Amino acid sequence: MTSPEQIKKHYIDYVLTNGEAPKSVYNFAKSLKISESDFYKIYSSFSMIEKKVWEDLTLQTLVKIKEQEVWAQYSSREKMLSFFYSYIELLKTQRSFIIYTLKNHPKRLTTPDVLSDVKPLFENFAEDIINEGIDSGELTERKFISKRYKDALWIQFAFIINFWIDDDSPAFEKTDEAIERGINVSFDFFKKSPLDNLFEYGKFLSRNSKFKERMGI
Amino acid sequence: MPTTKVARSAKFIETGFRIGGNYVKHFSKKLFNPDLTRDELNEDNAEDIYNSLSELKGSALKIAQMLSMDKNVLPKAYVSRFTQSQYNAPPLSGPLIIKTFTKSFGKSPEKIFDTFNLNSIRAASIGQVHVATLNGKKLAIKIQYPGVADSISSDLKLVKPFAFRLLGMSEKELNIYIKEVEERLLEETDYELEVRRSIEFSKACSKLKDVVFPVYYPELSSAKIITMDWVEGFHLKEFLETNPSQKLKNKIGQALWDFYNFQQHELKAVHADPHPGNFLITPDEKLAVIDFGCIKELPENFYQPFFSLVVPGVMNDKSKTIKAFRELDMIHADDNEKQIEFYYKSYKEMISLFALPYRSKTFDFSKPEFFENLYAWGDKIAKMPEFKQPRGVKHFIYVNRTNFGLYTLLNELNATVKTDTFQPQLK
Repeated sequence: MTSPEQIKKHYIDYVLTNGEAPKSVYNFAKSLKISESDFYKIYSSFSMIEKKVWEDLTLQTLVKIKEQEVWAQYSSREKMLSFFYSYIELLKTQRSFIIYTLKNHPKRLTTPDVLSDVKPLFENFAEDIINEGIDSGELTERKFISKRYKDALWIQFAFIINFWIDDDSPAFEKTDEAIERGINVSFDFFKKSPLDNLFEYGKFLSRNSKFKERMGI
Repeated sequence: MPTTKVARSAKFIETGFRIGGNYVKHFSKKLFNPDLTRDELNEDNAEDIYNSLSELKGSALKIAQMLSMDKNVLPKAYVSRFTQSQYNAPPLSGPLIIKTFTKSFGKSPEKIFDTFNLNSIRAASIGQVHVATLNGKKLAIKIQYPGVADSISSDLKLVKPFAFRLLGMSEKELNIYIKEVEERLLEETDYELEVRRSIEFSKACSKLKDVVFPVYYPELSSAKIITMDWVEGFHLKEFLETNPSQKLKNKIGQALWDFYNFQQHELKAVHADPHPGNFLITPDEKLAVIDFGCIKELPENFYQPFFSLVVPGVMNDKSKTIKAFRELDMIHADDNEKQIEFYYKSYKEMISLFALPYRSKTFDFSKPEFFENLYAWGDKIAKMPEFKQPRGVKHFIYVNRTNFGLYTLLNELNATVKTDTFQPQLK
């Protein structure tokens, strides 16, 4: 019996060697010396294997970062940074295949199909971290807006992956810089800023009746 | 503080405009007052250049500073403030530090060291310093900011057009100097090279009295990380605040003098960054050298003519002096008689000033006259149209920086030192 892991490995090898997906599941199953129905017992299509590769890498990263001794001491910002550094490190081991899976997707803001299983995983993680940050006071809760923080981080996710794919600096040093700067900017927006105070001040003034009278409202 | 390339470009452009504005102001005033000299214009420009430069950080500032130091474009007060310039970057996040370690060693810092403090203790010129312990030893770990080398190259591209206008040099003339600065700055980003050199230089200088070096650990260092022993001690400023005795100040000054002159004359390569941050004065009253990022090698075709002028003898012979000036490109092949005479006199004056400490057995660096004369000479030539074009071989940039830096440190120490400990080795 062939395991899902073996099929996945064989598929990656096939794609990277031939530069394209196998012509048919029949063909691919034959080269693995299994029957077509054996294949379908595990995967419904080739694209499902590709999704699985992404999902596995994401899950592995999430497990790995939480195993770190320092994890508990990290702020929300640092936890997100840690995710991306470890994620890119892990993606590096499958870089050619990762690029292959994204190559056919036009670079738009929509989520590539191959990432459809990764998105909820990442968003759950992001939401947990954001809530932690709000609880600890590191980040600020804003009506309606704080619910969208995770969307901003998903956009960062897409940006960082795309940046890494085009990165030709030694050891992907520039991707490190992109992560450091990008995540810091996002989290700077999430924390309490002078704008929040201005908004609160405006609310205070508008509630103040004397002010209203004087302004002729 | 503008840190992005765009923001920094904007800064340069703004300065360009404002200098342009000063010219407009100058010429419109001149319409009504033909006697108006360019002094006021120069002052206006210096002021604006300074204001804009002081907002620039990082290598752009360093480059502008080095180029202007050589040309004495900026008054002394400005120059001294610029010498404090550092690469400005926000501290590295904990996860990035861990990533840098994993990339270099395949292990996180807490698996390599017994303890490792994720919060940096201070910024270094292009990185930050952390404290760690291993086998009971306290260590200093220097970690480089990502993308520094890249930012240096792009800063240089930014500074070029600005420098051309500021210094009135043509691109061709300036390129040779810019290249020299770029080479040194890029070398500073190579931490593997720095570790190799640190070990080499500390070994070569190990016989020097009162100079000590930390132990470096190449196996715990990489392209982005340097591991060395933690050195306890005071920086120069803190040291002076403890009211040290004159005897002690002389001792530290002597150590500095010996350190630099041993390198110049025995090794023919010198630690070219006499920034106060690169030294510590240890509790047992020794000078510790903690940074070897910038090394300038002195080729024989520079060393021989230059130091032949420093020791007594050659300068008394006009034709020999002019020959040396020609070798150093201070007098050009196509200069006419009048120009030769002019540059001969001006440079003779400069070198006589520069060589003054070498001309006696001891020298008191606390004397303000010596520095006033140096600055006065700088201010004077800054106003001379004859010095608008750059002169002198490229090696002067770092050799001047090193020696004037050393003199300044000794002046701050108010030290009197024996200056005949390491003599120039002339053929």
